[in-house]
Amino acid sequence: MKILLKLLQMRELSIILLMILFFLFVGSINSEFTSADSIILLLSGSIILLVLAVGQSFVLLTSNIDVSVGSIMGISAAVGGTLLVDGSSLMIVIISVIGVGALCGLINGIGVAQLKIPAIIMTLGMLGILRGLMLIYTEGMWIEDIPSYYKMYAVTDFLGLPYPIWVGIVICLGAFLFLNQTKFGRYFYAVGDNLDGAKLVGLPVKTVGILAFVFSGMSASVAALIFIMNIGFVPNQTGSGIELQVIAAAVLGGVSLTGGVGTVLGAALGAIFFTVINNSLVYMKIPAYWNSAIAGLLLLVIVISDTKFQSYFTKRNQAKLSNQHIESQGLEDSSP
Amino acid sequence: MTNLMKSLLRWELFLIVAIVLELLIFSMITPGFFNIQNLLFSMNDFAYIGLAAIPMTFVIITGGIDVSVGSIMGLASISVGVLWMNGVNIWLALLIALVVCIIAGLINGLIVAFTDVQPLVVTLGTMFLFAGIALVISGGGSATGYEGISGFPDPFVEVANGMILDIPNVIWILFGVLIVFGTLLHFTKYGRSVYLVGINSKAAKYSGLSTKWIVMSTYMLAGLGGGISGVILTSYFSSARADLGSTAILPVITAVVLGGTSILGGKGTVLGTLLASVFVGIMNYSLQLSGMPSEQTTIVVGIILILAVLLRQSKWTYMKKRVSREKNQVPKISE
Repeated sequence: MKILLKLLQMRELSIILLMILFFLFVGSINSEFTSADSIILLLSGSIILLVLAVGQSFVLLTSNIDVSVGSIMGISAAVGGTLLVDGSSLMIVIISVIGVGALCGLINGIGVAQLKIPAIIMTLGMLGILRGLMLIYTEGMWIEDIPSYYKMYAVTDFLGLPYPIWVGIVICLGAFLFLNQTKFGRYFYAVGDNLDGAKLVGLPVKTVGILAFVFSGMSASVAALIFIMNIGFVPNQTGSGIELQVIAAAVLGGVSLTGGVGTVLGAALGAIFFTVINNSLVYMKIPAYWNSAIAGLLLLVIVISDTKFQSYFTKRNQAKLSNQHIESQGLEDSSP
Repeated sequence: MTNLMKSLLRWELFLIVAIVLELLIFSMITPGFFNIQNLLFSMNDFAYIGLAAIPMTFVIITGGIDVSVGSIMGLASISVGVLWMNGVNIWLALLIALVVCIIAGLINGLIVAFTDVQPLVVTLGTMFLFAGIALVISGGGSATGYEGISGFPDPFVEVANGMILDIPNVIWILFGVLIVFGTLLHFTKYGRSVYLVGINSKAAKYSGLSTKWIVMSTYMLAGLGGGISGVILTSYFSSARADLGSTAILPVITAVVLGGTSILGGKGTVLGTLLASVFVGIMNYSLQLSGMPSEQTTIVVGIILILAVLLRQSKWTYMKKRVSREKNQVPKISE
């Protein structure tokens, strides 16, 4: 029982457990859902959301929020699309697209960390600005004729898995190791958990805040690169509306909006679960318009029950601590 | 307190000056721009933002946020459409739709007030939930997911397209909503308690206010606002769609924040929200009139939003510094 409670407290495990249950449930209705092919398809379909959720986690961990990622993804896709059409080499495309994302993130970061604009306002403003800039840049046209060698990466396998899945795995593991195994990575948790405390012990609070947004911007441009690969053209509304899905996915994976709590692995799992929910209905022969209703309901149920559970757990721990306290006091009193 | 009132007044004054300047500049750039009739009718295009933003001000003043309002608009719209298609009287359908939206707000409010889940997360969940329910209703009603329901009776279409005394109905409705919600927020005990919850929730609780009920009620008001906005949009386009308000949420929050409401809670006025929606609306209309595609006007609105908050912020830090300086001087004088 104790072990079960401990395990449930780890959000990553409980989300994996939930996902397995969900898979078994849908699989019992339609066994095609659990076939290796459909699972790989699901994974590659979730990579865009996954990469964005990992980037967003950095910002959420520092107790900020970035709602501009959809527009950053849009403008990066536009830049990447035109460069690819012009026949630039892959290296140049990747570097310049990620540069665009990093620059947008840098502007967000300076606004929030340096100029002290509330993150939601700063990124809301940037959402509008960047979407408009993208439309000026593309002159309102869709970018088509992406070279086919680039599109092929989406379906080419490397060691049995398509390239986008490898990109997702590398980014996810890289971010996880950086945040949990390096000293600088731990700063993100420190800043989000207790800003004033982090300042007092001399952490580079501003740099950490700015870097979080830079990472989020870069994740949006990586998502854009995968988007072009998957779709093969760049429509004007690329990425629009995805920002709220990204935040929902990260929250589903146990990243707290108040900062300092959660892991990128959780966020990635949240993104996969979100995609799984959205894609499972087809297999259950439920009309696709039930998607958002079920996704929303599950999100609410999971988040609410998690909060209830966590508060129950903290209360229990506190009760235990105070009991110990009373006991030890009692011992001291009786000893002399 | 008077200081606070003064600074609030100053921001609304600033917005009025900005609107006047905006009108002057654009009438200089674009000949034939300053046509009162055209300007009044341009309000039709953005009044729905104000209608949803005014009640949203309450939620943001308590320190919360409601991103599900766009979905509630769609829910209102499709409820009216499906009920009417199934033979319900259109006015009754309208009333039922508004009740549905208040219930949607109640769900938001219940979860926010009675669990520790953050308002943004709760309303993010209900945003998907309500949009989904709207789609399900429309799918069940007409068997085609996204297709709109049209062909409403004329009196209903007239609600948003008609005029009284040469002024479009929508402006009257906006004015009515401003007066009702303005009175509620600024001249009632309930309104004062909404501010207190936003400034210091604990103080509000210890002074005997039922903070949970107050928080919950603000979400119900926001739901009602989304409902009114959705119904008006349905009447304006004479078509009911489940995805009607799907892009409305960001402009609504922009209007509230540009209107001087602090995203951290405790500060803000209904009049400011209305003025900000008018300002943004006229800006959109004028930019389009001078040849800018409507999608690109978001650049200008985004820049204005960031600059406005920066401006308010710098004033605020300046004032804070001054206050703390005065505090420091007090002991010296007494010595």
